[in-house]
Amino acid sequence: MLLFKLAFRNIFRQRRRSLLTAMSLIGGYVLSVFSFSMSEGSYNNAITFFVQDHTGHIQIHKEDYLQRPKIHKSIPRPDELSAILDANERVASHTLRVFAPSIAYSDTDNTPAQVIGVDLARERATSTLAAKISAGAYIGPELDGEGYYSAMIGAGIANNLNIGLGDELILISQGADGSIANDIYRVGAIVGDRSSADRSTVYLPLVASQEFLSLPDAVHEVSILLKDDGLAREEAARLQELLPEFTVDPWQVVEATFYQSMQTDKQGNVVFLGIIIFIVFVGVLNTVLMSVLERTREFGVLKAIGSRPAKLALMITVETIMLTSISVLIGVMLSAPLILWFSLAGFALPEPMDVGGVLMSHLTGELSLYVFAVPMFLILGFAILISIPAGIRAALNSPKEAMRSH
Amino acid sequence: MQTASLAFRNLFRNTRRTVLTVMLIGFSLTALIVFDGIMRGMITLMVDNITGTLTGEAQIHRVDYRENLDVDLYLDNAAQIESQLQQDASLQAFAPRVISGAMISSSYNVSAGLVYGVDAQLEKSISKISEAVVEGAYLSGEESELLIGISMAELLEVGLGDRIVLTLSEVDNGELAQALLRVSGIVEFGLRELDENFAFTNIAAARRTLGMTDQQTHEYALRFVTPLSLTDSSSALLDELNNGEIEALNWLELNPEISLILEISRYSSLMIGAVLFLLASLGVINSMFMSIYERIYEFGVIKAIGTRPGDISKLILFEALFIALISCGMGILLGAAIGAYTSTSGIAFGEMEFSGISLNNAIFSEFHIIQFTQFPIYVVLLTVIAAIYPARFAAKIIPSDALHKSL
Amino acid sequence: MKSTSIQSIPTLAQLLFVLLSTALLSSLASAQESAVDIIDAMEELYRGESSLARMTMIVETPQFQRTMEMESSSIGTEKAFIRILAPRKDRGIATLKLDLEMWNYLPKINKVIKVPPSMMMGSWMGSDFTNDDLVKQTTLTDDYDLTLEETDTEYRITLVPKSNTVTVWGKIDYNVNKELMIPLSQNFYDDSDRLIRKMEFSEPREISGLLIPSRMEMIPINKEGHKTVIIYDELQFDPPEIDESIFTMRNLRSRF
Repeated sequence: MLLFKLAFRNIFRQRRRSLLTAMSLIGGYVLSVFSFSMSEGSYNNAITFFVQDHTGHIQIHKEDYLQRPKIHKSIPRPDELSAILDANERVASHTLRVFAPSIAYSDTDNTPAQVIGVDLARERATSTLAAKISAGAYIGPELDGEGYYSAMIGAGIANNLNIGLGDELILISQGADGSIANDIYRVGAIVGDRSSADRSTVYLPLVASQEFLSLPDAVHEVSILLKDDGLAREEAARLQELLPEFTVDPWQVVEATFYQSMQTDKQGNVVFLGIIIFIVFVGVLNTVLMSVLERTREFGVLKAIGSRPAKLALMITVETIMLTSISVLIGVMLSAPLILWFSLAGFALPEPMDVGGVLMSHLTGELSLYVFAVPMFLILGFAILISIPAGIRAALNSPKEAMRSH
Repeated sequence: MQTASLAFRNLFRNTRRTVLTVMLIGFSLTALIVFDGIMRGMITLMVDNITGTLTGEAQIHRVDYRENLDVDLYLDNAAQIESQLQQDASLQAFAPRVISGAMISSSYNVSAGLVYGVDAQLEKSISKISEAVVEGAYLSGEESELLIGISMAELLEVGLGDRIVLTLSEVDNGELAQALLRVSGIVEFGLRELDENFAFTNIAAARRTLGMTDQQTHEYALRFVTPLSLTDSSSALLDELNNGEIEALNWLELNPEISLILEISRYSSLMIGAVLFLLASLGVINSMFMSIYERIYEFGVIKAIGTRPGDISKLILFEALFIALISCGMGILLGAAIGAYTSTSGIAFGEMEFSGISLNNAIFSEFHIIQFTQFPIYVVLLTVIAAIYPARFAAKIIPSDALHKSL
Repeated sequence: MKSTSIQSIPTLAQLLFVLLSTALLSSLASAQESAVDIIDAMEELYRGESSLARMTMIVETPQFQRTMEMESSSIGTEKAFIRILAPRKDRGIATLKLDLEMWNYLPKINKVIKVPPSMMMGSWMGSDFTNDDLVKQTTLTDDYDLTLEETDTEYRITLVPKSNTVTVWGKIDYNVNKELMIPLSQNFYDDSDRLIRKMEFSEPREISGLLIPSRMEMIPINKEGHKTVIIYDELQFDPPEIDESIFTMRNLRSRF
């Protein structure tokens, strides 16, 4: 249409003015995107981290095991549950775990230990346990030549008991049937270091732990990794309906303290974002208003030679939208790599920070449609909003006065 | 100066534009002031939470004690340490503590916990235990008093006056020791860990149960007359106390994650500041250019009649300066107003827990002189710097082009 | 407030004591004697007593039921040795108590574990007794104030701990069948007089010439569905087989 062509040419006719306006808009856009990314982000990496580290996206327990763990709150016949999960398309992988607070003994010392029995193969695919091994190798579920099961122990235990690879480890706990659970294991690997979160943990093959605790064919926890991060709540709800006899929780519930802290922090960020947006608004106001009103004289001339006021107002609005759109597009191109870096690498914290029980090691931003789209719509919105009354005003000016302005 | 007064008057030739620009810059300054105030308030809250709740501003232990809280690693020269602490002028208060893990049993249930034996009086000047009492009374030094966390009280199903048996190991010989106490008060700190796992009793009773003499202590918590500065937290007293056997650390060293949070908040302030200033600068450049354009004919004329380029740039720069000054004025006023409001009414942020510190109280923003000195100076500087490009452009206008300029 | 004698619920030895004391009560002509006198006399009598017993312990919880067979030896209230005979899985697990210390032997791992203070309040063999209970020594008259009440069918001895006595109980009631002179029940209350635990005695049998309830049920009122039952299959007082060598580490570890 003629109007568009005209608007387009007008933009390039006043190169400097358009350029300046555009620069302001681009600048405002990039900075907003960055601020949004910073306030939205930061947590995604932490979430990904603990989800993959041990929490998973969803966890299944019996009753309120999560809040009040008791050995008898166990999930029976886990194979049945595994079959259901294996067939579920949205599930990437899952693992089975058994827990027991115990005491670990060596010949001369003893120390408290959290015993975790895991399905070794599944665990490998669902958590980062295999990557945490600092000595020895990821164990297998078989008995060794002497009839012992292997165990992977935290560095704190290795240190407190003064034992290492190949040594005997004695575990004592209370069985599910009330008996004293006691057995000997062979240390096959050491996990982490003395400051790791699992420094007092002993990992056993699932079967070994079930025997140890007289808990045949049952587990305490099923941890699930989904293919799509964002669907945790949805899928948890769906699974819960399917499995009414168990308790299915998304990670937001499993790590509730972290989630709460995160939400609150985000809420606080809304305030800051509000401030940023306000400044951007003023900037756009400044820019757009000026670029329209500066041309009052020009418009006066146009009206004098016969342009209809309505058409004029429209043209102004169209020009503004076009210019803003071009600016925003350029803004997207400029900010994309920046945000990409920010979300992947981010600023490394000198020391990991504990947020509600979860460790974060980097300050990162969020890469998402939201981060790019919201500032885009905001700026476009502002621009249009401002250009309409300004355009109308400009259009309504009498040509005589317009041409006389400055 | 003629240029100056000319510059000033020029501002009002297009009041609307000037107002818009002033708004942009002014609001940026306001935002920065408000943000800074809130950050400071948050840090104060955090520091207060850490040092005031239980930790104190510094602590003295036997070396290696902190790794496992081994009851056998006690300090056994209380008289000597305490006299040194008494005499030190930089110290306002100190409190000795005897600490042990124990099984805490009621008629109903048993729970593992950490028992602190404290000196009721001295402790008041260091920690908030007495303020956390929600039922019953704070310790008064009487024999069988016990304060337990509210969540623990729920787990053990006990109320005031109910009996509690503590089971623990004596120091040095590890022998079984038990003590009968009565719940004399229930405390609520609002921190999960404390409310679920901690119990407080009088230090004399704790020592007796553990088989410790009155010369033996696990920990001293200290408070200084002037709170340790965050940037330079050294203390002569702590340096003196540190030797091969004793370790005296300030709260920053005891909680290294906190210094991290402080750094992050400094980063955030910087980043927000940068963002705001960049936005403002763009606005300034835009604005100055606009104003130059509309006067381009005029500049052409005055250059043609011999005005020096330097004078034209000076003019533009002065205009920028005045805009900056007015903006600062506005920004400061608004910033002060908002700051005044938030520093008295506070901002409730909801519940957050970082590194075991709960931030569920309202944050009161704080004023600080740099908000009204440094920040405005930056603003003025940045505005003027932003105006350099437009100024040079104006200076370089070629009269003939300018005079031909159509719109 | 540390006391030499600490109590929570009766030890097995104490159970025997109660049986004995009430059995002997029947041989005392006059029940008018004060409760303190009776119990004092009992304690004097009981101090030298040794015993050998074979028992079945049944632990019931909402999640499982477990039956164990054990044999136990004791001298007074200071020494006890208990060995599990069945089920097969736990055969050979033994507990040795000497005064206030306790050790467990676990044959599967061939290890003797001393029970640390932190485990004292933990359950013994999964039952409703704690390790602490087994370790306790009783000096009832020293640590409690006793009052005796009578009804037509029952004697009630009420024990209230003295202010220095370290125990979680506010009050303990012993109820005795007046006619048969055998214990009926013991009730354990908290400070607010709420019943927390109950021990019920039943199935009286003649064992070694005494009428003794052979079945004891310990029922925690605050934990639904939980119960521990002890049934004395055999019981001998002052048997010839008992000697000091039973109560040693060596015996604890010995092959069985």
